[in-house]
Amino acid sequence: MKTLFKGLLGATASAAMLAGPVQAENDDITVGLLQDFTAVYTFVTDEYSQGQQDYLNLVNARGGIDGHMINAVVRDTGNEPQRGIEAYNRVREEGAVLVDFLSTPVSRANVNRVLNDEVVMITPLHGRGDASDGETFPYVFPLMATYWSQAALLIDYIDEHEGGIEGKNIAHVYIDSPFGREPVPVLEELSERLNFNVRTFPYASPGTEQSAVWSDIRRYRPDHVILWGAGGGQPVSIREAIRNGIPVENVLSVVWLAETDVDVVGRDRATGVKRFEAVATGRDYPIIQDILDEVYAQGDGAGPEERVGTTYYNIGVATMAVAVEGMRIAMDEFGPPMTGDKLRQGMERIEEFDAQGMMPPVSFSEQDHQGGGFGRVSQWDGENWEPVSDWSAAYQDIVWEEIEKDAAGFREGN
Amino acid sequence: MFYRLAGIRHTSYESARQLYTIPADKVQVYGLLLLAVLAPLYLPSLYLNSYLLPWLVWSSAAMSLTLLMGMAGQLHFGFAAVMAIGAYASIHLARFGVPFEFALIGAGLITSIIGTAFGAAALRVKGLYLVMATLAMQYLVDWVIINVPAISGGAQATLQTPEVKFLFVPLQSATSLYFGALIWAVVVTVLLLNIKRTSMGRALAAVRDKDFAAAVIGVNPFKYKLLAFWTSSFLGGISGAVLAFCYYQAVTPEQFGFNVSIQLVAMVLVGGLGSVIGAYLGAAFVLLIPIVLTNLIAGLVATTGLPISSNLLAHIPLMIYGALIIGFLLFEPLGLAKIYDNIRKYFVVWPFRHTQR
Repeated sequence: MKTLFKGLLGATASAAMLAGPVQAENDDITVGLLQDFTAVYTFVTDEYSQGQQDYLNLVNARGGIDGHMINAVVRDTGNEPQRGIEAYNRVREEGAVLVDFLSTPVSRANVNRVLNDEVVMITPLHGRGDASDGETFPYVFPLMATYWSQAALLIDYIDEHEGGIEGKNIAHVYIDSPFGREPVPVLEELSERLNFNVRTFPYASPGTEQSAVWSDIRRYRPDHVILWGAGGGQPVSIREAIRNGIPVENVLSVVWLAETDVDVVGRDRATGVKRFEAVATGRDYPIIQDILDEVYAQGDGAGPEERVGTTYYNIGVATMAVAVEGMRIAMDEFGPPMTGDKLRQGMERIEEFDAQGMMPPVSFSEQDHQGGGFGRVSQWDGENWEPVSDWSAAYQDIVWEEIEKDAAGFREGN
Repeated sequence: MFYRLAGIRHTSYESARQLYTIPADKVQVYGLLLLAVLAPLYLPSLYLNSYLLPWLVWSSAAMSLTLLMGMAGQLHFGFAAVMAIGAYASIHLARFGVPFEFALIGAGLITSIIGTAFGAAALRVKGLYLVMATLAMQYLVDWVIINVPAISGGAQATLQTPEVKFLFVPLQSATSLYFGALIWAVVVTVLLLNIKRTSMGRALAAVRDKDFAAAVIGVNPFKYKLLAFWTSSFLGGISGAVLAFCYYQAVTPEQFGFNVSIQLVAMVLVGGLGSVIGAYLGAAFVLLIPIVLTNLIAGLVATTGLPISSNLLAHIPLMIYGALIIGFLLFEPLGLAKIYDNIRKYFVVWPFRHTQR
């Protein structure tokens, strides 16, 4: 009996030691990449996380930031807020200065925590769009164009490159969730300003069955369709558009459309579909080449080499490129050790950073944590995503109206 | 050994009906309570806030559900919706200026009314058909919350909990949040342990075992089914409110989705239907094991330096977790509570082999 108890005690103690938080060594910079590898965001997480880890490996292989290595803690949260909160509290005790959850529910659950703890949370392409207001959310950085900016840019693209938008019918087809509904106010405001018609068509989550909605859309006779979904619903939408006689060139999607989605539709059938793009896709960029030469050639890649250069991989690389740039500035200005507050100020001083041509030139400030809301439209040509417009930002006045409105709501407790 | 029976003789019905007929049980429960009360003194804040606190809240929720599913035999697959109603109702009441104590009770009452309305389906249907009716509740409540910005809190669909005081103590510090959750868990535990000893508990058991047989012996199934839904929804609603105020502090619709309902059912089933200790063990299993496994495996891989991709690393804990669920249920189909019960019975008659009580 005694030996049994001793054994049990020993096992518990060793388990506790293993599971306990480990303080980062000396001057390492810890970042928490606590993402959803197993539940809802699986369509993006693997590639995105691989890009993030590869870029950090590249930075470390070159000697880190002034000799300070970046220590990435990668954990699964399963898109569950309670697991995200636990993972966040743990990396915070390990001294993390930056976290990325890549999950809207987990990010939202942690907004107040990072604001209190002074830890930078980046929310690229997820989380609260109103966090672009740096004065209300000093430690939250959306980094890339919010969904409002994306909608404004798509409308601007139609106006500029598809023969004007006045009098046209635009169908906004979206997954029935707060994410899908988010751009609606911007679209309505723009429809009044630019004189076009917009009608919204929600389909039920998760979007594997949309046929009923698309017969309605066909009757509406849209000139252009804007898709607002993510994951499994996206290829279904494109297929239904084709089936209902809507030319696939007239279908424009939110940022969540990638190689895997066109594979499901069929690479040829999907030829012509357009999407918003926040970061360039492909391998023809110095950073990606450096990763291939210095990380993959050494066998240190975080995943399969084929994925390098895909849509979400490059987005992951870009997020870390911006974060590391912020760390560099912070280290130059304030010196070690890195803290969340220094990192925030460093990121707010980033100006015209384009990751060597991989992304639009973004600038942050104390007020603007979105970075200008830049993006472009790219088109699937059967093999690659070809850009069909230049990097630009559109109607930021309307976008910032929305940001201010929701940020004011946050201050009041929403 | 631990359970000394010598000299314990129950000579009246009253003493035989006590909550703890063996002093050792009482000592254990009070010991655990003492450990829980002193937890802020000896537990690092990470474990207090990220493990113990959510565990207590989810245990309260699992107990509320086990009252309905285990004691009254009415299946409910939409219990996350019940908690959502409680969470949103309490936040809106507190924002409206209602003192927090009354906001909690108000949230419980609102949840009871809505929960009982859906539970009324139980008067006509049983088993899988009742599962369908409660599933409908889950999706209807989700839909209403998402589509009514006045409830969900505008375009971002997030509501932060306002600053409140509970019994004159501001619910702000980690310790006060923990004690808020602990008090509620104790209240629900005491209530559930005692419900089993009352006429209501026996009536619920009769309805659970065969509702028309219960009617024959004079138990009104109409009344007791609705009462079970009413009580369970009341407790579940307040558990949802406690979850919102003491743990999440910002409420979004995803926190109360269908997967959460399934997790709650899993807590009740893995723990053991109708058992209080089962609710605690089940909540620990479903809530904490994935977290502990994730950290353990990550720690192991980091120390041994095995080349494992982050994707596989994320899935190994899931595989072990699934194997554990199947393993435990094969080992003891009646759940973790039954395993505890077997161990206890072994020690009650130790060193003899036959269990008597």
